[in-house]
Amino acid sequence: MGDTPHLLLVDDERSIREPLAVYLTKQGFRVTQAGDAESARTRLAAYAIDLIVLDIMMPGEDGLSLCRHIRANGDTPVILLTARSEETDRIVGLEMGADDYVVKPFSPRELSARIKTVLRRAAGGGGLRQHAPESGSYAFAGWVLKTGERALVDREGVSVALSTGEYNLLLALVQRPRQVLTRDQLLDLTQGREAAAFDRAIDNQVSRLRRKIEADPKSPEIIKTVWGGGYALSTDVTRL
Amino acid sequence: MTRRLPWPRSLAGQMALLVALALFVAQAFNLALILRDRTAFRVAQATRPAAVQIADALDREAQGRPLSQDRGRVRIAVASPLTPAMRDQPDLAHELASQLAELGVPVRHVAVALASPDQYALRPTRIERRMMARDGVAPQRRDALVMTVQQPSGRWLVVASPWSRNDSRLFWRLLAQTLILYGAVLLPVLWIARRISRPLRELAAAARGYSPSSAPVPLAENGPPDVKAVIAAFNALRLRVTAMLDEKDRMLGAIGHDLRTPLAALRVRVESVEDDTDRARMVETIAEMNRTLDDILSLARMGRPSEPPTEVDLAALVDAVVEDFRDLGAAVTFEEAERLRMRLRPSLIRRAIRNLIENAVKYAGAAEVTLEAGERHAAIHVADRGPGIPQERLDDVFDPFIRLETSRNRDTGGIGLGLALARSIVREAGGEIVLSARDGGGLCATITLPR
Repeated sequence: MGDTPHLLLVDDERSIREPLAVYLTKQGFRVTQAGDAESARTRLAAYAIDLIVLDIMMPGEDGLSLCRHIRANGDTPVILLTARSEETDRIVGLEMGADDYVVKPFSPRELSARIKTVLRRAAGGGGLRQHAPESGSYAFAGWVLKTGERALVDREGVSVALSTGEYNLLLALVQRPRQVLTRDQLLDLTQGREAAAFDRAIDNQVSRLRRKIEADPKSPEIIKTVWGGGYALSTDVTRL
Repeated sequence: MTRRLPWPRSLAGQMALLVALALFVAQAFNLALILRDRTAFRVAQATRPAAVQIADALDREAQGRPLSQDRGRVRIAVASPLTPAMRDQPDLAHELASQLAELGVPVRHVAVALASPDQYALRPTRIERRMMARDGVAPQRRDALVMTVQQPSGRWLVVASPWSRNDSRLFWRLLAQTLILYGAVLLPVLWIARRISRPLRELAAAARGYSPSSAPVPLAENGPPDVKAVIAAFNALRLRVTAMLDEKDRMLGAIGHDLRTPLAALRVRVESVEDDTDRARMVETIAEMNRTLDDILSLARMGRPSEPPTEVDLAALVDAVVEDFRDLGAAVTFEEAERLRMRLRPSLIRRAIRNLIENAVKYAGAAEVTLEAGERHAAIHVADRGPGIPQERLDDVFDPFIRLETSRNRDTGGIGLGLALARSIVREAGGEIVLSARDGGGLCATITLPR
């Protein structure tokens, strides 16, 4: 359908679905609505959908099950709407292959921004796209980054808490080991999560991260500065 | 000052004591009965030979063998040898009189008395005399039973025989018997009582250690049937409590969903409000409602935390919370601290610290956070230079839904739920939150956690 991305909005709550559809249409998307999983399947078969916004809690077949079905049949990006901020929902949702999620009540602007980010990544924004970006754990240089609990665990099993900004940055780095990422790329990759958390300069976040994970933050071995470029994770990463 | 006797508190101890007391009473009755029979027997034993001896001696005298004053079992005396100091035995006298009457011996008066060795010297027996001659051992001084009979002629006949005052052998035998009985009865009683009380103790421990967050493992049904029934009832109760708590959690989940859905609908619609200031205020109100809802749900779920405790660097945790505030542009400072390894539930503790900082930022616009590691405790201080809280109301702010309108501004929004939640989280972790007034104005909230 030309340049207008086609969204499928699946939510059983009309009070959310309809105004949201109006809003997203104003934002320049073409929006098709579905009130349950079954009609969502019909719409999916009928249209070329670019991205699905999917409510987890629905009567009948729920969003997670539909998400699994979508993942099994292609790689249309999915953004989940969840009523609970609880860990389990998030972990399960991301394991089901969702690309992102927002917690109700969400800001329509934020949702719109995330839709754009996910669409940009899906459109093949360089080598940056990766499926199921968050699920599982990443082991590197004696550390383990657990995405489910959003925790960084050291050799002794002690978990070292990260701020939201630090977490997003580290996640972007460990998902692309030995790859030079410019500040702009890092900003883009860390955006679209908690909206407010990317205001501070990437450099600042990097130096904070280094203090937490480098043996000697003054001569970093894990996160290296690339002359004139940006940053790169200079160790191997194992998906656990 | 009488020291209180150690009274057994355990079931086994009390049962054993009760049985011991009952046995003691039974044994005492038994002893009294035995002593009575024994006395009757001894009376008969003492008087019958004496009566026969008297009758024989009188027969022999009639045949021409005169009685003597100092020889033979039966002696004659001019006057009664009994003195008032001797203990008169009217029962024995009566018995002796009736025995003599049976044997046809005429008497005028019969008197029997017990005499101490000083009052009446017994002649040594033949065996004693032999032992004296052989070993030079003086015979044992013994009490004497002195039986006197006044014949119609007025002459007195005296028969004296040794009398062991107290039946010490009998006493020891009874004591031994009692001890054997105690052993035979008390040991099984103790065993049975322990068999009952061990499962009861386990039950008490299980009830004390009951934690609604852990999966209920049924307690093994040991012991006698009554105790088994109690344990089964406890297991059922535990399942019911857990089921009720599960139900509560499901209900809270449903409430959360049902309240968030209209909030979400409202949030989407607010976006179409043209006036920027209006829209920003509405957005803020919705966010506030959502935070309050979150706090209410979390507070209602406390006591059943789903997150397990893990090894955490507390310094990094505080730093991460502070960093999140700084990312949002809040003036929060944290003095970097040494690594501090602790075992706790990270996202709950994060929440508690966040709530304290949020409170400080809300009322004072800024917060200073410090971490202090002690030997046994770690303390997190969140200090501000806000209006503070009057000393006498420092404790009140922890009550849910309390907000101090006197010194803290109502318009800044929020109800005192954040502090209540922070306190529940910290208490669940075995710690405490204390608020104190700061020198130079302001408030300092301190979380103390055991290491």
